[in-house]
Amino acid sequence: MRILRSVRHKVCADGSFMKEFLLETAITKEFFAYLGNFGQVEALPNVGEGFYKFEKPDWFSIKGFAGDTTVEVRFKKEVMDLTADFLYVLFSSYHEGMIDVSLLKQREQAVHERVRKRLHGM
Amino acid sequence: MAPERPVIYLNNAATSWPKPPEVLAAVTEALSLPVSGSGRTTGSQGEDYITRAREALSGFMAADPPEHMVFTQNATDSLNLLIQGFLTGKERGCHVLTSALEHNSVLRPLHEHERQGRIMLTILPFDRGFVQPERVEAAITPDTRLMVMTHGSNVLGSVQDLTMIGDILHDHGIYFIVDGAQTGGHIPINLKDLPVDAFVFTGHKGLLGIPGTGGFYLRDPEAIAPVRFGGTGTDSFSLFHPREMPERFEAGTHNYPGLAALAAGVHFIEEKGIASIAEKAEQQTSFLIRELKKEVNITVYNEHPDLPIVAFNIMGLQNDDVGFMLARAYNIIARTGLHCAPMVHRAIDCGQGCVRISLSWFTTDEECRIAVNAIREIARNADSSIGPA
Repeated sequence: MRILRSVRHKVCADGSFMKEFLLETAITKEFFAYLGNFGQVEALPNVGEGFYKFEKPDWFSIKGFAGDTTVEVRFKKEVMDLTADFLYVLFSSYHEGMIDVSLLKQREQAVHERVRKRLHGM
Repeated sequence: MAPERPVIYLNNAATSWPKPPEVLAAVTEALSLPVSGSGRTTGSQGEDYITRAREALSGFMAADPPEHMVFTQNATDSLNLLIQGFLTGKERGCHVLTSALEHNSVLRPLHEHERQGRIMLTILPFDRGFVQPERVEAAITPDTRLMVMTHGSNVLGSVQDLTMIGDILHDHGIYFIVDGAQTGGHIPINLKDLPVDAFVFTGHKGLLGIPGTGGFYLRDPEAIAPVRFGGTGTDSFSLFHPREMPERFEAGTHNYPGLAALAAGVHFIEEKGIASIAEKAEQQTSFLIRELKKEVNITVYNEHPDLPIVAFNIMGLQNDDVGFMLARAYNIIARTGLHCAPMVHRAIDCGQGCVRISLSWFTTDEECRIAVNAIREIARNADSSIGPA
């Protein structure tokens, strides 16, 4: 899934970095099911065409509606330099059909160690 | 998403939209004609937008004389100028009062002065949206010199009793600066009768002007030291800034297209009548609250606001998610988060923030109906449907 454009916004409440991504194609329930391999997904399927929210605690969150080409991403700013690339890879690696997530899981683990060290010093 | 739906703008407590056609026309006219401000040009055939705006504002708020109406960039700018100017020359460590209802435009300047050891700060709590006058009186010490307080809360929409509080403060010789950013254009303001020393306003909210305009009315100019100096177009041989009003506080070229817009906004409000504006807002706000309360999982934080502001949360959903859903699925623009008023949110929602919808004269009954249906639809789907994708 290709990101066409991103715009940075400031978030008043918690200081996290919010970006709105305009995507080449509309997002689907299946996209969020794929994201579920890497974090928690919540859904309100009866609101609009279905509201979905992916949360990867300490990293970032992604929310959007099925059928929409815009998603909102919020980065935890303290580790954004470590996690942003992985988020872009999550988007670019997604395609219809079966997706082998094993390589992504390895990459996630490597970033995870660095995030943990940065945030918790362990 | 929701491209077929027209935008429903319910973020008027931040910046009002749309603007009256007269306001847009005033900006265009001001930028189309040569500048003809006092002291800035030899031309005399054009409009003096600055004087026109000063007279419009002073008439609208019963503030006399018009020269004591000072223009700035916005309410935050005014508050900084007034707080800094008042504290200049006051003893270090003097006591200042404020309230937990305040916007960061008050809290941050005061906290900065406190951090620098310039003041001792007491923040008064509120009860059901109101600062209790007796709490103000109880907090006064022999060192209290200043109170800075909002007129209307930007989260709860509660309008404070300036008369009671101002009388108490003045009985103790305490200076009273009021932040009227939320009330101008929504309720009648009569500065002739209100016991306030400085009253701050902004142009881009209820007064229906454009961003970049604001100001304050000052009863006694000598009470505030000027903290900005520069060109005024007057007395230019002097290397010191003029002390006459309004030049005392106005340095540099004015935002004259903005002030032309502000004057047009004020005239628009006068034409509609502030009573009619307030009545319409009251009816629509009551309708919204009545309907939202029908959903058991919606918490409305002030069920009787004095301003067209409704703050709420939906149980089980984060406020920013609700704002996102309203925007993307229904094309409804609200405001979520802390609304730059962190202490209010600490008191009402444990600092989580909430969703705020705020109306203007241009909000229609139909828009209110659509908005309330959208919020109720989200609420009805909130608890039952949360789960794995």
